[in-house]
Amino acid sequence: MDALVTFIYPAVLVVSALLVVVGVVTLVLVRAHRVLEWVVTAAYVAVVVQALTVILLLLTGTSADLVLAVGYLLATVALLPLLGIGRLGTPEAAEYDADPNRPVLAPDQIARVDAGAAIAVGIALAVASWRLVIVLGG
Amino acid sequence: MNPVARIVLIVVYSILGLAAAGRATVQILEKFSEAPVAYTVSALSAVVYIVIAVALWRGWETVALVGSSVELVGVLVVGTLGVVDSSLWPDETVWTGFGSGYGWVPLLLPLVALYFLLKGRQRRAALSSPSDS
Repeated sequence: MDALVTFIYPAVLVVSALLVVVGVVTLVLVRAHRVLEWVVTAAYVAVVVQALTVILLLLTGTSADLVLAVGYLLATVALLPLLGIGRLGTPEAAEYDADPNRPVLAPDQIARVDAGAAIAVGIALAVASWRLVIVLGG
Repeated sequence: MNPVARIVLIVVYSILGLAAAGRATVQILEKFSEAPVAYTVSALSAVVYIVIAVALWRGWETVALVGSSVELVGVLVVGTLGVVDSSLWPDETVWTGFGSGYGWVPLLLPLVALYFLLKGRQRRAALSSPSDS
């Protein structure tokens, strides 16, 4: 529990804040998209480490409400695929889809979509992680 | 519809759908008898969010338009009823306090979605109408 509260949870909060800040910067300066990609990778790493730590805690015994803890844990993991969702709008991705309504995005639009998603996911990830730590008694 | 706005709306609706579905599942499984109406509204809001997210992705604009309107009416009705008589809601829903528990996103989101959906529809109508020249 100590490792979660002292190192991992703060790291997730820092990554969440970076997602929001770099997301806002990318909306203004499309060039920052490359930096956002690094932050997205960091978010994946931080959330996976947090998930593994929480699973370990749940397996080794905790008084936390299991349903809530697993629910918030799944929520933090379920948010990850939404990061970098602009990839679904690339012309290459659209080639394999017969849906005529599928949006095909230009590179600057992909950057803006990723930025918007990063802002939304950053806020949601911070809230879900905070609730997770509360449920676990941190 | 603006493709950037469309996908960002899908992301935000997916997140809200996830949050509302999780909340409703726990409420219904653990204490449904305490506030059946409130928890049913929570479940309904989750369904509405997920339907809108899918509709936006599949390009079902009419479904998204109806869903966003239902969402806006739901937030306004639940929020107003909570102000008029707080005893009507023994426990909170996603739409309680006009969505204040979720940073008022449930109130702002349908307004933003309706703006982009109606703007897209207007633009398409203008493009399809015959020109005067």
